[in-house]
Amino acid sequence: MRYRSMKSARWSGALLFLAAALLSGCATTPPLSEDTHSAVPERHLIEEVPFHGQRDYQCGPATLAMVLDQGGRTASVDELIPQVFLPGREGSVQPEMLATVRRHGLIPFVIPGRLDAVLQEVAADRPVAVLQNLSLPWWPMWHYAVVIGYDLDDERLVLHSGETPRMDVSMGRFDATWARSDRWAFVALPPGELPASGVDRESAKAISAFESVQGADTALPAWQALADREPSLALAQFGLGNALAATRDLREAARAFGRAVDVDPEFAAAWLNLGLVLRSLDRTEEAEDALRRAAEIPGPLQERAREQRAR
Amino acid sequence: MKRVARIVSPFVIASFTVGSMPAMATPSAVADGLVTTQEAVSADQASADRERIVELLSRDEVRDQLIAQGADPAQVEERVAALSDQEVREMNERLDQMPAGASSVVGVLFAVFVILLVTDLLGLTNVFPFTR
Repeated sequence: MRYRSMKSARWSGALLFLAAALLSGCATTPPLSEDTHSAVPERHLIEEVPFHGQRDYQCGPATLAMVLDQGGRTASVDELIPQVFLPGREGSVQPEMLATVRRHGLIPFVIPGRLDAVLQEVAADRPVAVLQNLSLPWWPMWHYAVVIGYDLDDERLVLHSGETPRMDVSMGRFDATWARSDRWAFVALPPGELPASGVDRESAKAISAFESVQGADTALPAWQALADREPSLALAQFGLGNALAATRDLREAARAFGRAVDVDPEFAAAWLNLGLVLRSLDRTEEAEDALRRAAEIPGPLQERAREQRAR
Repeated sequence: MKRVARIVSPFVIASFTVGSMPAMATPSAVADGLVTTQEAVSADQASADRERIVELLSRDEVRDQLIAQGADPAQVEERVAALSDQEVREMNERLDQMPAGASSVVGVLFAVFVILLVTDLLGLTNVFPFTR
């Protein structure tokens, strides 16, 4: 008995040595920024996120079902499989995960690859979809899961993952598996809501991609929210202007384009659109002025602005 | 009955025509030729037009790739339509290398099993549920 336990101890020692030789570094809790502790509560769990279990290789559709449900769009795993699953790859790829969210009327925002960002979203009751490599880089085991809770004290996260609801994982282990996907994560939000972890030009791109699928009417509240939250983001004002013009609110569209060029006077597309909208409003002199500015800025739109002025 | 119809029908036709007129007239109220947000987003505006053509071709290619990978042909059109221009470009360039989230432990060889078991115990990986 004693001999056996010694033998097994020797074995595990050898294995540990092997592992240590293979790998440098160890799973430590990733550093959270100083602000995190003051920015979010010590612990939070989004109670109501429904669990959808995966079958076979269906963690992509299952993850989507969970985040869509929380955003108020119900879709079953069976319905989602033909929309996102790729049989040849026995899995689902990232762009199609985002695209499927759009098809169901929510906007997918990829959030910064930092654990703080994930915690901020969870604290704001937004479940976060993440891509992990549960295994090692040379034998990848890609997996989508949903982060629904955390505890800063215990340094633990709660995930709906695979066949396990409310799986409890240490932050260190989670981060080791998450880092292998370059820490890819997204939230799925109804138009008008924005990520709690911050907005930038990428948020505008996310709304623009959504607008191409669902139309300007549906995207308008999202543009409005982004322009309100980040008035100095010229692309947000520009996107708002286009959505307003498409929904026939030309006066407000002119105001939005006006704000876009106030923020960024070198934004040729905004000057051009401002000119065209003002012209439709019969404000000819102002329109001429804006088109002249557009024609002065070197770039691909210069020719287009000149043509418009000649009309 | 026929006479009634003959008298009434011009009015019916006229009312339909008049009724539909405002709806047809409104689009002209919107300014033509606006630069779209997707155009403005495209990083390299110098080649915006050329990119547009490449994009259209890419969408076709991505559609073919998805069908080749076994996606339901009836769904492929909508799947491709929901991708942004940038995503289409990425899928077209490197769909083969993209991670495909799947996670199934089936098929892991024994040696791999042992090593991953150890890394699991060290908290570096998360393959086997019983190591938590």
